[in-house]
Amino acid sequence: MSSLDAIPVTAEVTTGNVEPLLHEVRHALKRLANGGDGTVIDLKCLPLAPGDEERIEEALGRGEVRAEIDALGPTLIQETSYPGVWLVTHRNTEQAVVGRFIEVTHIPELLKSQQADIENGANRLENELKN
Amino acid sequence: MENMTLLDFARGPGLQWALWIFFFGVLWRVVGAMFLLGTKDRSKHRRNHYIRDGLRACLTRSAPAHAFEEKIRFQHLTGYAWHIALFVSVLLFAPHILFFESLLGFGWPHLPNTIILFSAAIAIGVLIALLIRRATHPVQRLISNVDDYVSILVVLLPLISGVLAFAHVGARYETLLALHLLSVELLMIWYPFGKLMHTIMTFPSRYQSGTFFGHRGVKA
Amino acid sequence: MRNDQFLGEYLRMQGVSRRGFLKFCSATASLMALPPSAVGQVAEALATARRPSVIWLSFQECTGCTESLTRSHAPTVESLIFDAISLDYHHTLQAAAGHAAEEAREAAMEENKGKYLLVVDGSIPLDNPGYSTIAGISNLQMLEETAADAFAIVAVGTCAAFGGLPHADPNPTGAVAVSDIITDKPIINVSGCPPIPVVITGVLAHFLTFGTIPELDALGRPAAFFGQNIHDRCYRRPFYERGQFAETFDDEGARKGWCLYKLGCKGPTTYNACATLKWNAGTSFPIQSGHGCFGCSEPDFWDKGGLYQPISAGLWGERDALLGAAAAGAALGVGSALAARARKKKALAEEEA
Repeated sequence: MSSLDAIPVTAEVTTGNVEPLLHEVRHALKRLANGGDGTVIDLKCLPLAPGDEERIEEALGRGEVRAEIDALGPTLIQETSYPGVWLVTHRNTEQAVVGRFIEVTHIPELLKSQQADIENGANRLENELKN
Repeated sequence: MENMTLLDFARGPGLQWALWIFFFGVLWRVVGAMFLLGTKDRSKHRRNHYIRDGLRACLTRSAPAHAFEEKIRFQHLTGYAWHIALFVSVLLFAPHILFFESLLGFGWPHLPNTIILFSAAIAIGVLIALLIRRATHPVQRLISNVDDYVSILVVLLPLISGVLAFAHVGARYETLLALHLLSVELLMIWYPFGKLMHTIMTFPSRYQSGTFFGHRGVKA
Repeated sequence: MRNDQFLGEYLRMQGVSRRGFLKFCSATASLMALPPSAVGQVAEALATARRPSVIWLSFQECTGCTESLTRSHAPTVESLIFDAISLDYHHTLQAAAGHAAEEAREAAMEENKGKYLLVVDGSIPLDNPGYSTIAGISNLQMLEETAADAFAIVAVGTCAAFGGLPHADPNPTGAVAVSDIITDKPIINVSGCPPIPVVITGVLAHFLTFGTIPELDALGRPAAFFGQNIHDRCYRRPFYERGQFAETFDDEGARKGWCLYKLGCKGPTTYNACATLKWNAGTSFPIQSGHGCFGCSEPDFWDKGGLYQPISAGLWGERDALLGAAAAGAALGVGSALAARARKKKALAEEEA
């Protein structure tokens, strides 16, 4: 990576694609605040310029909750400075990004413990205590 | 190439043939007209300012004669509006300039796309209005012939198809682009054989009138 | 994984929690270009999916498509999907060779008759079969044999989908696409030179999840990935609209990341997912790296003018031919004018006489 950093040319690109996305988040948050359903925005399906994802993160800021999940690689779930707006970044074991979402919801699905895992865990604890 | 699509044809053989016919026809008309000139002048020259008289005529005939000014203001203004809108949308749009560059070997600066779109919209609107006027006004109807209507149509089609292609409206982009190119090829094929030749003939024609009258001492 | 095992069960036995499975489904739905609301449906379908048999035939190709697909060594979503299918034959990746390999293929075909997925990369030479053979069997014969009992065919890469590079003028091997030979089976064309890896696995994932062919466009490509052209999804589009173009590869416009239309970008006439999904797990794509798109997912893209020639420049041939036409016109002009003058002279002479 260091040899790439040594290239003196940098591209300063501004395309104005960030603002419409933030408006979409605003509409979704309003909907949630008024008792409506949550919304998930898939960032991988949008034409984002280099630097746009950082600009989105910067615009949304950081909130009170930061959760790291370790399942098939690390996943970072960060509540932004706007409660209800969560930034979810899925990575694989090679640290490559395999999914990036903005979830506008009370709590992202992945943070909750899943029913199948709970049942497996209950069985496992019972077996542990028997022995 | 197997499975030649409509776009491949329009960009390839269609364009090739249209350009050949265009250059062949235009040279035929222009060179022919030049060689037709040169009738013997049987009177004594009153003035010897050929070039000045010729150029003056080019300028003076760009505005209506004073006596007619008020009566033909509508044609005068719409005529200019249309031609300027046409030149802006045809000659100052970047992709068009690249086409001319491939033909001529040089290009020129371009304008942003929104200005081009606006200009093309004006050109289409004004041309349709003038076409309707031509078909309904009693005098215009009388003096208009097939040449007039065909010439207007072959200019209108590229304008409309160009805007539709640009806006991706009506069909897949490749189809719209192919139709736009084919309509331009139709224009190029018609060009040397009708009233569209006024684009090339107008100024030389005025120049010739200017020198002709100038010899007889008339500042026309 | 046993062929009769459900995929959900298989993943659980690999130590993947339900939470991990949901993460997997979320990423899979994303790469299938499904909306996030479909994740639940994907999870349900994948949990109860059975492991399909896949036979991969490589014909007249450069192996770029296989390379594109198998880049990673760790369990990425792509590799998990790849593990989830039973790749019963792939002569670049498999360990077996010679007769043993061909026997394995025939056994897989027999066992899964009517249910296996046939993946083909590379074009098929129709001229001399000697141009490309495997174990002494011509590509044409192997394709016809293997396609007969397949459920569907995935033509991976522009070579298999449309003929690709071998098909370019003058096509010395008589190369054709899969769809030119097989006409009685559903064919999914996943074009691109090579295709984006997630597009290949997206099609496989769709097949895994729903057991059907995804919606296809007029050229037989999955509409989810090939439904939009690059120009309409390109992040540099605002520069095109404002008329800000790079004129050469190292000028100020190029450094500022302006539109590459003038440098020959074929984005407007190319349909692919490069502008949104990008390459190398979303790192970049040609335009972002400063080079115009050259339309690698379109048929005959090698024969559509130079890579650096703008789309609007046209393919009208040589300038000399135009000068020739002009000269001919001028000659006709001189001739007809002189003839007219001669007629006039004659008429004047007759009048005076």
